[in-house]
Amino acid sequence: MTSTALPDDRIDRQANPQKGTTLARREAWAGYLFATPALLGLLAFTALPIIASLVLIFLHYDLLTPPKWAGVENVTRLTTDSRMFKIYWNSLRLTVGATLLNNVLGLLLAVGLNRAMPWGLRYLLRTSIFFPVMTTTASLAVVWRFLLTQDRGVVNFLIGQIGLDPVPWLSSSAWALFSAMIYDVWKACGYLMVIYLAGLQGIPAVYYEAARIDGAGFWQQFRNVTLPLISPTAFFAIVISLIGAFQIFDNVYVLTEGGPGDASRVIAMYIYEKAFRGFEMGYASAVSFTLFVILITLTLLQFLGARRWVHYE
Amino acid sequence: MSRQPTPFHQNMSRRDMLRLTGVGAAGAALAACAAPVAAPDAGGDSAPAMEPVTVIATTGMPVNTFDNALERSLERLPNIAMEVNANSWGEGGWDGYSDTMLTRIAGGEQIDVIMIAIEGLRLLTAKNVLVVLDDFFAADEPANDILHNDIHVTLREMLQVDSKQYLFPFSWNNMVMYYNTAIFEEEGLDPPPTDWTWDDFLQTCLQVANVTGGADDRFAYSFWGASMFGMCAWYFNNDVSPISDDWLDSNLLDPKVAETLQFLADLILEHKVAPNPEGWDDWAQFHAGNLVMRTCGRWCIAGTFEAEFETYDLQYQPHHSGPLKTVAGTEGWGVSTSSENPEEAWEVVKHLSHSDTSIDLVKVGGSIPALRSVAAMPVFAEYGPPNTALFYESLDFAATVPSPTNFNIVEPILNRNYATIWNGERTVEEALQAAHDELQPEMDKLKQA
Repeated sequence: MTSTALPDDRIDRQANPQKGTTLARREAWAGYLFATPALLGLLAFTALPIIASLVLIFLHYDLLTPPKWAGVENVTRLTTDSRMFKIYWNSLRLTVGATLLNNVLGLLLAVGLNRAMPWGLRYLLRTSIFFPVMTTTASLAVVWRFLLTQDRGVVNFLIGQIGLDPVPWLSSSAWALFSAMIYDVWKACGYLMVIYLAGLQGIPAVYYEAARIDGAGFWQQFRNVTLPLISPTAFFAIVISLIGAFQIFDNVYVLTEGGPGDASRVIAMYIYEKAFRGFEMGYASAVSFTLFVILITLTLLQFLGARRWVHYE
Repeated sequence: MSRQPTPFHQNMSRRDMLRLTGVGAAGAALAACAAPVAAPDAGGDSAPAMEPVTVIATTGMPVNTFDNALERSLERLPNIAMEVNANSWGEGGWDGYSDTMLTRIAGGEQIDVIMIAIEGLRLLTAKNVLVVLDDFFAADEPANDILHNDIHVTLREMLQVDSKQYLFPFSWNNMVMYYNTAIFEEEGLDPPPTDWTWDDFLQTCLQVANVTGGADDRFAYSFWGASMFGMCAWYFNNDVSPISDDWLDSNLLDPKVAETLQFLADLILEHKVAPNPEGWDDWAQFHAGNLVMRTCGRWCIAGTFEAEFETYDLQYQPHHSGPLKTVAGTEGWGVSTSSENPEEAWEVVKHLSHSDTSIDLVKVGGSIPALRSVAAMPVFAEYGPPNTALFYESLDFAATVPSPTNFNIVEPILNRNYATIWNGERTVEEALQAAHDELQPEMDKLKQA
C-alpha cells in the first residue's frame, strides 16, 4: 500500500507557504545570534590582529612611542636577514621531525591500545600517555631541563650506568634541537594518540571480519583496511600537528632558550625576540607574515595532496 | 507530588526560551561593557571618607621581601593603598626584566613605582618611562639628606642619566667568590687570600675538583657563562670590558677579552674542573657540596638560608691584571611617567627605600643595601658568612657594569655567542668575531639614534 500521508510540517507549509519561510528565517537568525559571540571573538582576537600586523609591516613601532612610516624597509630587510633563514631551517627540521614522530608514534600507540586488553590496563595506559598533554608545557620543560643537563643530569647518569659517554643534550648544537623534538613528541603524541584512537574506533568491524575471511593477516589488515579508512583522521592529525609544530615556542624557550647560539631557536621565538625584546613591531610583523604565508601554503598543499591519499568511506 | 506548571512554563515555548536567553545574554554583555557608575563626588556632603589612592610598585626581587613594608605602609601611608607585584625576568637578567616592564607599561597596566637597575635604566629613560626625581629630592630635605649623605656617590651616580637622578638607590651588588669552607678544610687548603690571582685560582680548582663523569662528580667552580654582570666579574679583573668605556662601541676584539674567555673556556674544556653552564644549576649543586666555588652577589645568601647551608665564606674574585676592580650594579625605585598619582608614588618610593625595608632585605639574604648606615649595622654581619664585610668594602674600587641604552639587545648577542665557546663548537676568536660582527652594527644604530 502506498501511503499518501504527508509529514505534519509539509502539510503546514503547503497550507501556508509563508510560515515555512518565516520559520527558516527565524532559525537562521537564532543561529546567527548564537554564532555572534564566537564571530566577534574571531574578529577581535584573530582577524583584527592579522590586519593590524599587516599595517605594522609598513611602520617602525616600538610600542611606547608613536609609529613612523617605514615604507617597504621591513620587507626588504627580510631578504638580508641571515639569522631568520637559519632559524627557519631549525623550524623546518623541528616541524618535519616532530610531525613525523608524533603521528607515527600516536598511530602506533592508538593501534596498540585499540587491541583487546584488561580495561584497567587500558585506562592506565591511555591516562599515562595522555597525562603530559594535560600538564603545562613550561613546567614540564623545566623538569626536562634538569633531566637532560649534561653534567649531573639524570639521563646522562643512566647513560653512564651502561658505560656510554654523557650526551650534551642541551649544550651542543648537534643535540639541542633534537632534545626539543624528543620533548615535544613525549608531550604531544598522547594527543594524537587520542585522535587516532577515535578514528580507529570509527572503523566498522565488518571490514576486518571480511578481511579475515579473505585470509588477511594483521599487517595486511592494517595496510589495506586500517590505513585507508583512517586516512581522513590522519589528514586532520597531520595538518594540526604540522601547524602546531611550526608554532612551537614555550617548550624550546624553557628547555634551551634557543641555544646554544641559535642552534635550537625557532621562528616563533625569533618573532617574539624582535617584537618584545627589540621592540621592532614592524619587522616582527613582517617575519610573522612570512610564517603566515608558509603555513597557508603548506596547508593548501596538504589539501591538494590529500585528494590522492585520503579516502572517505 | 508533581510540581504544578507556572504561567511561565505554560506559555513559554522552547524557541521563546532560546530567544529570551539570547537577548538576556546580549543585554548582560552590554551591561558589562558599560562604563562603571561614577563615584560620588568626594567633596559632597554625603561623601564617605576619602578612599586611599592605589599605588602599585613592581620589583624583580621576591615580593615577600616587602611584606613588612606593606604592613608598615598601613600606618605610615594611610592615604595610600600600596601594592607590590613581581615583574618577570623573562629570558635573561635585567635585559629580560626591562623588556617585560616596557611591555607591561605599553599594555596599559598600572605601574606607579618601578624598580630597575642600571642595566635597564637607560632603556627606560630613552622610552620616557621614568620621572626625573630631582624636583622631589629638592623639595624633600630628609630624602635629599639620605641621598647625599647615606648613599655612596658611586651608587647615587649610577642611577643618574645626564646628571639627572631617576632612581632612589635601594640596593646594589658586586660579584664575589663563594667557596665551601668544609671542602677547603678537607683538602687542606687555606682560605683564599684577598689578592689571589688567576693562577692561584686554577691551582685551587685542580686540587678540589673530582670529575670522572660519575654520580660523585665534584666540580671546582662554575660561572654564569652569560650576562654582562656575571662575565664582567672576570673581565674587570683582567682590566678589560666587552664594550668601550663610553658604551658606544664593541670592544670584543680586544685581546684581553679573548684571554679572559679562553681562561674560562679552559676550565670547562681543558682542565675539566667546571661544568658547561648551560642547564647547570649552580645554586643546588653548591648547597649539595657538588660544587666548591661559585661567583655570585649577595642575593645568593638567600639560597643558603633556604638550603640551611652554612659552611661557606666569601672572597674577592681572583685578579689577573690592571687595578683592582669589582663589577657593581645598583638598583633603585623610581616613579613611572604613567602614574596618575606621582606625589603618592614618591611617598611609596621613599617608603620602599627606607632603612626598615633595607633591613628586611638584609634579613632575607637579598642584595647589599644602598644605605651605608644599614650596611654598618650588626644585622648586616649577622645575616651572612664571616667575611660579609667584603660586600660593602669593595665599593671603593667598584666599576659600573656596562649598561648602554641598548643593553637588552647587547646582552643576548653576547650570551648567544658565549654559549658556542663553552660547548667547544667555536674557538674563542671565532665566537668573538661573530659576536663583534653582530654587536657593532647595533652600537652604530645606537650612535645614530
